Amino acid sequence: MVVDSRSSKQSLFQRMPGSIKLLMALAMILAAGLIPLENWPAHGLLIGIIYIGLSIAGVTTGYLLRRLALFLPLLLVFGLSAPAVRSDGAAWSWTISLWLRCTVSFLAGLWLIHVLPFRELLITLRRWRCPAVLIAMLGFMYRYTFILWDELHRLQNARAARDFGSGPWWRTWSTNSQMIGLLLLRAMERAERTHRAMLARGWDGSIRFLEFDE
Amino acid sequence: MANTEPAAIELRRLTFQYPNGRIALDEITCSIPTGERIAVVGPSGAGKSTLLMHLNGLLPAPPITSDDKTQVFVHDRGVTRQRLRDIRRQVGFLFQDPDDQLFCPTVRDDVAFGPLNLGLSREEVMSRVEAGLAAVGMADCSTRNPSELSTGERKRVCLAGILACQPAILVLDEPTSNLDPRARRQLLEILRAFQGTLVVATHDLDFVIDLCTRVLVLESGKVQADGATEGILSDPLIMDRYGLEVPWRLRKP
Amino acid sequence: MHIRDGILGPEVCLMAGVISLGAVSYSLRRIRFDLEDRAVPLTGMLAALIFAGQMVNFPLLGLPVSGHLLGGVLAAVTLGPWAGCLAISMVLIVQAVLFSDGGLMSLGANILNMGVVGAWGGYGVYSTIRRTLGSSHAATVAAAVIAAWLSVLAAATLFCVEFLLSSHSSGFDPRGILTLMVLYHALIGVGEALITGGVLAYVLGRRPDLIPELGKAGPVGRVGGFAVSGVVLALAVASILAPFKSELPDGLDAVSEQVGLSALEVERPPLVLEDYAIPLLASWPQLSVSVAGILGTLIVFAGAAVLAGMTRRTASSIVTTDGSHGG
Repeated sequence: MVVDSRSSKQSLFQRMPGSIKLLMALAMILAAGLIPLENWPAHGLLIGIIYIGLSIAGVTTGYLLRRLALFLPLLLVFGLSAPAVRSDGAAWSWTISLWLRCTVSFLAGLWLIHVLPFRELLITLRRWRCPAVLIAMLGFMYRYTFILWDELHRLQNARAARDFGSGPWWRTWSTNSQMIGLLLLRAMERAERTHRAMLARGWDGSIRFLEFDE
Repeated sequence: MANTEPAAIELRRLTFQYPNGRIALDEITCSIPTGERIAVVGPSGAGKSTLLMHLNGLLPAPPITSDDKTQVFVHDRGVTRQRLRDIRRQVGFLFQDPDDQLFCPTVRDDVAFGPLNLGLSREEVMSRVEAGLAAVGMADCSTRNPSELSTGERKRVCLAGILACQPAILVLDEPTSNLDPRARRQLLEILRAFQGTLVVATHDLDFVIDLCTRVLVLESGKVQADGATEGILSDPLIMDRYGLEVPWRLRKP
Repeated sequence: MHIRDGILGPEVCLMAGVISLGAVSYSLRRIRFDLEDRAVPLTGMLAALIFAGQMVNFPLLGLPVSGHLLGGVLAAVTLGPWAGCLAISMVLIVQAVLFSDGGLMSLGANILNMGVVGAWGGYGVYSTIRRTLGSSHAATVAAAVIAAWLSVLAAATLFCVEFLLSSHSSGFDPRGILTLMVLYHALIGVGEALITGGVLAYVLGRRPDLIPELGKAGPVGRVGGFAVSGVVLALAVASILAPFKSELPDGLDAVSEQVGLSALEVERPPLVLEDYAIPLLASWPQLSVSVAGILGTLIVFAGAAVLAGMTRRTASSIVTTDGSHGG
């Protein structure tokens, strides 16, 4: 939902086939992986190229920085651990190089999620001869993830309404586990109802897709 | 009545027991002529949904071939496993929760699901999708994600998916639940335009008055009353006994 | 747990991708056989559930970070290893392509570590333990708890192998990396084990019919289960014992010393973080790992016992209420 509304923004990339976009992002990530770690200028160049792509796709710099900030702690952990398992003093420069490489890949991924709506991804996968069952399952999953998120929020609200302040951590753990358990029950019951709804419309287990003209 | 046309649906002493032993339906006998609009009313847990699910072979595992064991007949043909595809082609089913029924990532994929399962050609499927969405006034939403739609819109998309299969009989489980008044009115207009047989299970008695000509009162798995809409819904004795209320429009001063 | 792009070398990603592709295709074949026309709705829903369940944050003892469910074993226990592997793979695909979480190139490695080891391996351990303990609710929960913990450790070990196979990791000490990963994942594994057990105990108390009996596996299936759980167990044990290997220098150690890889024994220039970050690790790497491993094992087994006990209680209370209704 969020993803789709963001990625359907008007841009140069909108009419580009999904396969090209997917391959472009992959090529960037592969390039970053193949360029030697120490070659910082090359990585900088890649970041520059992707940044231009992101700007064309309508991604604001503020948003980029916010996303990057979420991704920093992980690399910080990596950077802090690296010196502990590396003796030659190159740990920090190694970490920064790795960070650059990861940033290239991360930005390329970010660009992709802005230019490739889910529907297009499914069409691309279909073009790439991905098994129809998997595509049908992916579509199914995508649709119901949002519904289960909503359900989860309702459960969390209901709990917050009865739970004054936070208890000890193990209580949170146990109520959270129960919440996931309840979600699992409801999800499986819904799957049964949905299966019934599919049967009612003639489902026999074989998957048929309609190729719409885009 | 000299009605030579076969009944759309016929139930012959339909009995159903849940695996836990509870009897959900107890010897229900009923005949629904083609083109009739009938409502099934009754308190929660009376067996309404269970009854509906028998009408297209969703609930019990139907007998494989023999007619003599079946208790449900659609257009004079017993519901058997062999005929299941055929029966489901004739009987469209609208489920209570639209989210159970809309499982595709876009609206038109969903509406196309039924026609595709019928094995129709691409052109035929496309025209059915268009016609279905047009019939429910959702033609401009075909590429949207069902999650973005309101409950009323989702319900209409569900209906489009069923109408696209062109069923002769429409079975609806609580069609007006969770709908705001406008969405409810839109649904009513769509259903009134439908030419075939209608079976509606609902608590919304005003909706029944506006749509159906006949009412079946169900309680504890038994048919407690069966007759013309106004006659039954305006009878305080029947209504009170089965946990229902006479709608304001039918109350006598 | 997600490996981001850039951390593993492209050649390793390719290798892992090929293995994962095989695993996913095999799962796809098996699932249509197992679940028939219910395969699409059930597996799709399970994937959506795992994805949604990962959004629930579990606080970590006052730390500013929080953990969440990974779900491999939970998925496999609910719908079997094939659907479980597919569900986790789909979650990873959607996270990589639509949420830029994890990576596109390392998707194969992520599927291998979490989907294949998590669901297939986890299910192998689970089914082996359950065959031994019986099919009571308590045994089911205990088996899943242990399987969840082992699968996380095994995935961590596998990650180390993948990282060390990458060309840019040449300056690293294998044992050091393993030590760090195991320390970290012993904790994550305990979390995963407790969440999996908690969810399963709840489900078994409410709808025990949702958790299927073990498939009627013939001797071949049983051997497969043993083999898979053996591999997972070996990976997990390796993760705990590997740091000890320095005490008895064997072939591998000799080689690594020659190449100059065994960094932990070398005097290191003092680094800023050493003062506070991992002092325990710096001075007592072997001990701290085994302590973590042993502590983790104890916590997991204690958790399994407690959760199993809870299940028995809920199960019996349900039986009594049912009985009173009947009478």
